[in-house]
Amino acid sequence: MNRAEKLETAIPIDTSCYAAVTDAIRNEAARILSDGTVTAVVGYKAGRRAGTTMPAIVTDPEKAGDLIFSPACVNNLALYLTKAKKDVVKKGRIAIVAKGCDMRALAGLMGESQLKREEVFIIGVVCAGVKGSGAGNGEPLTTGNLARKCRECTVHTPEGADLTAGTMPSLPELTPVEAREMARLEAMTPAERWEFWKEQFSRCVRCMACRQVCPFCYCEQCLCDKNRPQAVESTPRPAGNMAWHIVRAMHLAGRCAGCAECERVCPMDIPLNLLNRKMAQEMKELYGFETGLQPVEKGPLAEYKDNDDQSFIK
Amino acid sequence: MHETKEKHDFEPKIVAFVCTWCTYAGADLAGTSRLQYPSNVRVLKFPCTGRIDPVFILRAFQRGADGVLVSGCHPGDCHYMAGNLHARRRFAAFRGLLDFVGVDLNRLQFSWVSAAEGGKWVEVVTELTERIRAMGPMEEFKTLETEECWSGALATPELQEAYNQI
Repeated sequence: MNRAEKLETAIPIDTSCYAAVTDAIRNEAARILSDGTVTAVVGYKAGRRAGTTMPAIVTDPEKAGDLIFSPACVNNLALYLTKAKKDVVKKGRIAIVAKGCDMRALAGLMGESQLKREEVFIIGVVCAGVKGSGAGNGEPLTTGNLARKCRECTVHTPEGADLTAGTMPSLPELTPVEAREMARLEAMTPAERWEFWKEQFSRCVRCMACRQVCPFCYCEQCLCDKNRPQAVESTPRPAGNMAWHIVRAMHLAGRCAGCAECERVCPMDIPLNLLNRKMAQEMKELYGFETGLQPVEKGPLAEYKDNDDQSFIK
Repeated sequence: MHETKEKHDFEPKIVAFVCTWCTYAGADLAGTSRLQYPSNVRVLKFPCTGRIDPVFILRAFQRGADGVLVSGCHPGDCHYMAGNLHARRRFAAFRGLLDFVGVDLNRLQFSWVSAAEGGKWVEVVTELTERIRAMGPMEEFKTLETEECWSGALATPELQEAYNQI
């Protein structure tokens, strides 16, 4: 979905702030590592090919200079603090470089008692946006290759971090592609929507990348891996695919932070974030709940009110 | 003596997920009171509506159910204090999701039936059965179930070429 989009005439986005952010991250990482505030910094470093980045865990203050921040820093690093990543040694306090969307995931994890605020040192970064999946490594960031989630971002400047790096440049006006797609789907008849999703899900190869990359999919045993009894068929057949994606969306309802990592990593370009958005919209309409930067003790599906809507129940 | 039973072209399969404390007892009351209701419904007993996972509903549809009924205690009557209230939120969300994926919500019915409401059970089941009978079989999930692998056709000449060489 991201790949085919050549939207409007691409206007370059001012990326000068990324260099300032990089400097701030390096200085702060060196400082907190050498004075012993944290034992490790989870951040990004340059990838092997020019213009790419990859997640990095820095424990040595000398290596703090490796850390960078650029429009290619697409990953949500909150994943490395969950119990799904057992190889990350979580001894002492850990610092993490987090964009606004990643900070929402961190807040969600704190709300679910997966993390303690005092155990994490958040280096919040001011982010003008990251590249979408189709963008070339050498390409500069423009309104044409910006990731879809960034077009509707509300947390360019995250609040509540231990340190916020950088200042926000002014952005050109962006069309909300995903909101438009949502509206298009909602205007369809149920039968048309079924056809749409059937076509999308039939491409799924069940690589489970969407699960592995999700900060909220930290269950040690996934329901969908279980057999005897088997809840969801595990082979990439249309029936099992449909069930898997419905179950996935349902399990993330009221929890998903909207980082759209699932959609980014999908090798078959299934627009998974549309399902997440739908659930977020339902939660907002029904229970006035929105995921934010502040941890909440109970998500919308973990609590109830006496006067919840029950017009659909006879 | 007996009413003559009407012959129908289509007998829908309906799966009812019910809680053991209220609706199951309610259905039992309907039986002991000799109230007639369609035999299309297959009742599955759960400890509480809070135990009924949306996956069960999906599974029922995949395995050939034409309609699903979920029924439990009225709010405030839950044996486990709040199981049905949690379920109420969960199913409200699940309905929204199913609708977005394109499932006709008329095939999915939720109800509160207490242990004293044998008559209401009969009413709910009859109404759902007749509605689904009118709608016909649930084809969507059944078609999916029979489909194998990719629905993607060999749309490009390169793929067709590669396929021919196998």
